[in-house]
Order: sequence, then C-alpha cells, then structure tokens
Amino acid sequence: MSRAGLVEFDDVHKYFGETHVLRGIDAAIDETEVVVVIGPSGSGKSTLLRCVNRLEEIQQGAVRIAGQSVTAPDADINRIRQRVGMVFQSFNLFPHMTARENITIGPRKVRDLSATEGEELASELLDRVGLTGQGDSYPNELSGGQQQRVAIARALAMEPEVMLFDEVTSALDPELVGDVLGVMRDLATDGMTMLVVTHEMEFAREVGDRIVLMADGTIVEQDEPERLFTNPRTERAKQFLQRLL
Amino acid sequence: MANTETTGTSTGLLMRDGLVRRVGEAVAIGFLVVVAGIVTIIVSTRVDFGLLETIFPRFVDAFVRVLGIVIAASVLSILLGMFIGLGRISTSPITSRITKGYVEFFRGTPLLFQLFVIYFGIPGLWGGAGFPIPNWEIPAAIIGLTLNHSAYVGEAIRGGIDAVPDGQMEGARSLGMSRVMALRQVVFPQALRNALAAIGNDQIILVKDTSLLTVIAVPELMTVFRDVNSTTFQPWTPLIWVCLFYLVITMSMSQLVNAAERRGDPGRDGSLSALAGMFSRRGGGGS
Repeated sequence: MSRAGLVEFDDVHKYFGETHVLRGIDAAIDETEVVVVIGPSGSGKSTLLRCVNRLEEIQQGAVRIAGQSVTAPDADINRIRQRVGMVFQSFNLFPHMTARENITIGPRKVRDLSATEGEELASELLDRVGLTGQGDSYPNELSGGQQQRVAIARALAMEPEVMLFDEVTSALDPELVGDVLGVMRDLATDGMTMLVVTHEMEFAREVGDRIVLMADGTIVEQDEPERLFTNPRTERAKQFLQRLL
Repeated sequence: MANTETTGTSTGLLMRDGLVRRVGEAVAIGFLVVVAGIVTIIVSTRVDFGLLETIFPRFVDAFVRVLGIVIAASVLSILLGMFIGLGRISTSPITSRITKGYVEFFRGTPLLFQLFVIYFGIPGLWGGAGFPIPNWEIPAAIIGLTLNHSAYVGEAIRGGIDAVPDGQMEGARSLGMSRVMALRQVVFPQALRNALAAIGNDQIILVKDTSLLTVIAVPELMTVFRDVNSTTFQPWTPLIWVCLFYLVITMSMSQLVNAAERRGDPGRDGSLSALAGMFSRRGGGGS
C-alpha cells in the first residue's frame, strides 16, 4: 500500500479484451504535486490517466480521490468527475458553442450557476489562459493552441481538485505548444494538483515534481526529474531515455 | 518512369479534361433541346388553356389539402423520429431493439400497405359500420405518413449521432454531466446538424408519397387529375398542374433545408441553434 495521497492507484489492472494494458499500478499523487507520466507509446500512460475519472473501467484494484473510491460500482461518478478536470489531446471542445459557452456549460448545467456568474467566471478564466476578449469565438475560429487553452479553461471552470492532461500538446503545431505549456506551468505554480501525460521532456523536467516512467503497463521507475533524467536506475528507463536524446 | 513521358503517351480520351467537359456539355445541351422540344410540342398541341383555367381551383383545393397533410406529417414524423433515433442508441437493449424493430417494419413494408392497414384495417376492427371517426382518410393519411417517415428520420438521426466524435461525449462526461444531459446539450445538437440533409431528403420524399393517398380516397392532386382526365379525356392539361404543384412544395422545401444547413453551421447563430436550444434549455427529460 502506498501512502495516502489525493489520487491513489491501488493495484490497478486494466484489460482491453485479451490485452493486459495496466499490470498492477500502485501510485499516489499528493496535493499540489505535479506528476508527469512518460514512456513509450502503448505503455498505458493515457489509459492510466483515463482511469482516474473512469473514462476507462478497470478490472481489478481501485482508484481513489481523497480517499473516495472512483471505481466502486456504486460510486457517484458524475459527482466525482466534477472534482477532476480533464484536458484531451484532441481538445474535444463543443463546436456548436462559443468559447464562453464551452467554459460555462459545465458549471451552468451541473452546478446551476447563474448566467451572470457564468459570464464573470468565463471572463476570469479566459484572462487566465491568455484569451481575453475571445469569448464570442467559436472553436473553428480559433487556432489549435487557443482551442486547447479554452479546453483548459473549461476544465478549470468546475474548480477541480486535480487536473488530468492527456498529451495535450501532441496535436498542436510546434509554434503553438509553448502557449499551452505556459498555461500549465502557471497552474502548477498556483498549486494545482496535476497528472500530466506528455512527450514534452523539457516541460516534464522543468515543471514536474515527480516523473513516472511507464512501460508495458507497469511503472518502471519514478523519481524527481533531475535524478530520473540524469541517473536512471533501471535498464528499461535508460533505454527509453537514451532514445530521446 | 519519367513524368515527361507520360503526358505524351498515356493520354487516353478520358485523360483530357477539357475534351470530357465539352462532350459533357454537348450531351447536356442535347438533352435540354430534346426535352424542351417535346414539352413545347405537347403544350402547343395537347394542352387546352381554357380547361387549364377551369380546373385550376380544383387543383388549388387539392394543393391546400396536400400542404396541410404534409405540414402535419412532417412535423410529427420529425418529432417522433427524434425519439426513434434516440431510442436506437439507448444503452437499454430493450429500447434499442424495440426501436430497431419499429424501423425494420416501417422501412421494410410498402407505405401503401401501411396506409391500407390504417385506412381499412383499423375501421375493420369495428366490424365495418360502427367506426366512430368520420373522414377517416385524412387522419389515416397523416398517421401513415408519420409512422413511415419517422422510421427514416430516426435512422437519419441515429446516423447523425454516430457521426459525432466519441470525444464530444467524453468531453461532456468529464465535466460531470450525466449521459442524458451530455446527449441533450452536446451530442444531439450536433447530430441534428449532421442529419439535416438526410432528414430533408426524406421530407421531400414524404411530399411525393402523398400521391399514394389517392388510393385511400384523399382528394389530393392525383385524384383531381383522374377526375378531370376521366371526364375530358385530356390527360396533358391536368398533368401540368400536378407537376407544378408538387414542384412548388418540393422546391421550397429544399430551399428551406439549404437555409437551415447554412444557418446551422457552427460560427453562426440561427434557426438550427434555436431548434437545438429548444431541446437543451427546456424540461428535464426522461432517462
């Protein structure tokens, strides 16, 4: 058993049909901690992330947020998801709504926020992600980087306790990556608890409090960024990091 | 292979775009000339303009009747079709199978058969004489067209829902919305936009399907044609009106669909957003 954290994985096993994609994950994320998950594609990083708000069901083990089980059959998943913000690789903004409506729909519909409160919240969040005055734009009128920042604002609008980032810069043109990472860096500085799956090693090194290296559905190694990047202990970690350099 | 070689050697007839285009134009123009010629000959030799005027009011009556039936069946079939479409994607196997069966039945049997079941079959349950609803042909027509076309609309909407990326549902669920709420707020408005063209096509077919109503004694356009033809033995004069009146409805309908499609594109506000809003803002729906 790992120490009690805000998010806990307790012997998590996940199968896609016959394929055993998560093979007994034990980990915990503390409050305000930024944990960056890296590893080769197919290692189960995104799947692990998606188990936190139960977009994926697990077959064995448990995931808990603040001690409360996410994976129990009787868990109130809609309520739990309000506490977990998620940002996707493909943004998943709602194309028929403006940026402002994208941001406010969660709080408006799920929390019964009033229209005026919603307006305020939207402006505040748009400022925060560097999109002041873009509230009336539809997603298809925004660049990929802007869309992803709206998506971050949308997730923040629910005032989550933890934020999940699933390869959020992978679909972006290289010159747009920086703005999105900048917003994430600010969030980390503000003390948000974050679980980040990414291929941006520089970001991982700079912003991560801890790096989790996954391969073949298991955690190979986890450590502070400096130690893990400069002095990996396991052969598998050395192999993966070598290929990046 | 060198590219410079291929331009010289392998250009068959179909490789020359300019030539194909000109041949196409020639065929199209030839077709137009032939059709226009035939129509001119028929109109000048076979159409009695006096009769055309005399029978006009009767066609207007029929037209108004058809229009009323079309509007009623159109609205009802789209409304019912939305529920059929949602039923098809229900997570409950009971609901999805029953709606599938509904669709299979109404798409799998002829509309004329369905009209007969409603027009003859239902009064038959009263043993012929005691059936209480007068002028049953009109409600029967509306019911038949509604049931039949709601199956097609339902399939169009199901297709529209399937075409919305899974990420949309995940995005909505990750905010804590229930599945029903996510469907109503996020997936359904987009599905409706996706399904618009298919629904429009079906509604135009619905207009033309009203011609079948002549068989169950609805005095519609084909009925008037037969009446006129059987007394005057001049088929071409009433056929002109039949043609024009159908085109009036179908062509304005396709204009309507085009307008709705343009206005429903994201980045614009319009009728479709308003329609979608009707579903998102109102009422707490079922589960």
